[in-house]
Amino acid sequence: MHLTIKMEWLPVAALVILALPPMQKFLEQSMVTHMLVQIPALAVIGWFLGRALPENWGNQLAPWNRWGITGMVFAIAIMTYWMLPRALDAAVAEWYAELAKFITIPAMGIALGVSWPQLNPIAQGVLKLEFWATFMRLGWLYLDLPDRLCANYLLSDQRVLGQLLLLAGSAWAITWTLRVTFGTRIINT
Amino acid sequence: MRTFLATLFIALAGTLILWISTDGGRAFTAEEARRLEIRENPRPVPDWQLQNQEAEPFTFQDWHGHFIVVDFIYTSCPSVCLILSSNLRNLQKDFSAAGKSDRLRFLSISFDPEKDTPQRLKEHLSHFSADFTNWMALRPTSESQKKAILDFFKVVVIPDEYGGYTHSAGYHIISPDGKLIAIFGVDEMDELRSYLNQALEDRENASDN
Repeated sequence: MHLTIKMEWLPVAALVILALPPMQKFLEQSMVTHMLVQIPALAVIGWFLGRALPENWGNQLAPWNRWGITGMVFAIAIMTYWMLPRALDAAVAEWYAELAKFITIPAMGIALGVSWPQLNPIAQGVLKLEFWATFMRLGWLYLDLPDRLCANYLLSDQRVLGQLLLLAGSAWAITWTLRVTFGTRIINT
Repeated sequence: MRTFLATLFIALAGTLILWISTDGGRAFTAEEARRLEIRENPRPVPDWQLQNQEAEPFTFQDWHGHFIVVDFIYTSCPSVCLILSSNLRNLQKDFSAAGKSDRLRFLSISFDPEKDTPQRLKEHLSHFSADFTNWMALRPTSESQKKAILDFFKVVVIPDEYGGYTHSAGYHIISPDGKLIAIFGVDEMDELRSYLNQALEDRENASDN
């Protein structure tokens, strides 16, 4: 019992650590850590928070979220918003945008954690492919653009992020290929 | 049914938020947003305390009644500022050749006032063989003035990996009545020219009547 309580508080503790001003500053000084470390970490925290929520909450929500569709639409809306370059700039410059980020991204994580397992396998496949395509598209875009998208980040930063997105996308594609052709499971998704 | 309604509501709300936060799909980056905002809501320029290349004090009030084109620089800049200022030089040359320079002024404001002494500002102008009568290089007189100026123009300056700076680059147009009315990018020289021509012409016609 004691241990489970501890486990449930873990995501909250992680959230508090990420919200500490020196930690914020550290992760937001580069576009790469902002987009590939801080934001995903907030989403993962949300995912675990969602798992730790009391069961009757989930039951009450269930008729509004059959097959996880509502939750996925909610998550995708938040994802799209934080892909706007000016949203990222605002988060660096304005405290209220930063606060919004620290609320909406974990909320997105919660929605994903609750809804993804309920989602139809075909819809899961389509979305996974779309997420992968977004990685590749953005990666290519960041590598190719001659101008900076964010006023707060350097062009070199944007290029590194582009390379990393392409790399991550490619790695993802390779693990899929291995799984589809040989049934090898490198990561469990 | 409840799922359908909830999904529909979230999809609509999400689209609405995205629509509003991109100014109706017109501004996806902070740079686009600041240009659009100024076009729609020109803002009066406050009277900051600046110092020019002759170490004389300058305020925007001194050039009241002129269109002013402002760019932001630091004199040790190896890249964008050079393009910014050489474009400005071409602009100055062309407009004075067309006999339209009496209502047009140019300002290069440094955001590196510690290094950019009046002497260096002067060298910067000379480097572009600027006509000193209608082109000045300025530096803010204090750190708080510098912050106020950058905040007003929404110019973001960040240190780069070579000990210099990367910054929002553009041409900021101030109207004769002292309002920031438009911002053009470095790649929008043609638009800037026709905008200035039109503005000067309108001004001319207005003073004739």
